[in-house]
Amino acid sequence: MSNRSLAGAIGVLAAGALLVSAQLVAQSSDSEIPRTAAGKPNFQGHWSSATVTPLQRPQELADKEFFTPEEFAEYEAGRLVVTETEANTAGDVHYQLVDFGLDRSQNDRAVNLRTSIITAPADGRIPSTTPEAQAIAAERRAYSQEHAYDSASNRPLAERCITWGHNGAPMTPVGYNSNNQIIQTGDHLVFVQEMMQEPRIIPLDGRDRISAEIPQWFGSSRGHWEGDTIVVETTNYTGLTNRNITPTGKVTERFTMTGPDTVLYQFTVDDPKVWTSTWSGEYSMSRTEGPMFEYACHEGNYGLPNILSGIRAEEAAGLR
Amino acid sequence: MKTTYGILIVGALALVSVGVRAHHAFATEFDVERPVELTGIVSKVEMINPHSWIHIDVTEAGGATTTWMIEGGSPNALYRQGITKNSVPLGAELFVFGYQARDGGMRAVGRTITFSDGRALFFSGTQVPDEVD
Repeated sequence: MSNRSLAGAIGVLAAGALLVSAQLVAQSSDSEIPRTAAGKPNFQGHWSSATVTPLQRPQELADKEFFTPEEFAEYEAGRLVVTETEANTAGDVHYQLVDFGLDRSQNDRAVNLRTSIITAPADGRIPSTTPEAQAIAAERRAYSQEHAYDSASNRPLAERCITWGHNGAPMTPVGYNSNNQIIQTGDHLVFVQEMMQEPRIIPLDGRDRISAEIPQWFGSSRGHWEGDTIVVETTNYTGLTNRNITPTGKVTERFTMTGPDTVLYQFTVDDPKVWTSTWSGEYSMSRTEGPMFEYACHEGNYGLPNILSGIRAEEAAGLR
Repeated sequence: MKTTYGILIVGALALVSVGVRAHHAFATEFDVERPVELTGIVSKVEMINPHSWIHIDVTEAGGATTTWMIEGGSPNALYRQGITKNSVPLGAELFVFGYQARDGGMRAVGRTITFSDGRALFFSGTQVPDEVD
């Protein structure tokens, strides 16, 4: 291992030892939290949301809400194992994540003793979807089976560099590049997820919402302070993103500094058209180093035309 | 912690971290039925998102030179660790094992990319499980 990589590994371990879990951070002294000149908690900086904690609790953990520290260490080690693929199999058609520093072991991670990011319902899993949502999903699957490669606009949103499933709200950790930047002014919070390029610009000044007739890929957010917590409510969804939150759905997020280097992020999703109950989650973000390299996904997205040209070539050859 | 800098053998096992999604399914862009082995000279390095591309000039058996584009991973984590496009110098000789584009173009995903003397391009070959134990 190179010295750089060794230093990185030590840094990861040191960071992991220093970071505290969501259920422990409340013990931090309020005086440790950086504040603005106006006395508000100062969220500005770079934050890692990388974690091995899954969004949904694995079935085998059933009603177990928390690991012990020893159980977590064992679980985390298992999640960081680099698996292998065999040459000349579909799974092998990929670059090596380790080579590009993209496996989780090479990135800061916050310790989280929860067995899932989802905290409600009590089973730690996203509730079942409504018959209406199931019918829409089935219709989309059927269309996709016939038309997935018709044109660029038929390709998945991630492939088109529009949005990934982890983009908010709610914002969830992602497998790599799980970093974020917060820019805070007296009347705005700007949240930039490293992937993708679209910043969330959240007014905190009490202004009116935009018309419900204007859907947004990331929804439209308005925030306000409740004590030292920033509460953000987001509406105006499209119903077309990976989470399928509809125009009448709402997500409520809470940002709370629980220490100088830790932000507790909590969210609740409320969309009766899609899910049979609300669902909530939480995780900690840990302070990390900046800057972030601009993602600029569209500019380098050779993959999208390459995929379509490959399909057109196979069609021309009579292979499809 | 182990150090493993050796020549990666074609046909060896690739390393994929558990549960990490890619920006797109590579098997829709590249053809598992078209494995390629290439040795070429770096002519351009694009450290861009969503994926890096390294261009290499490959001299064919008859003497002609063909430029191949090799797709790799997002460069963001590399930048955080001080690695830039200059870390792969123009003129360096690379060895690539990968899979060619479905349309038969001179593009391939770089399943294994090393310097031709066997050194890892970036971090490949590190023994990750040992680091966390």
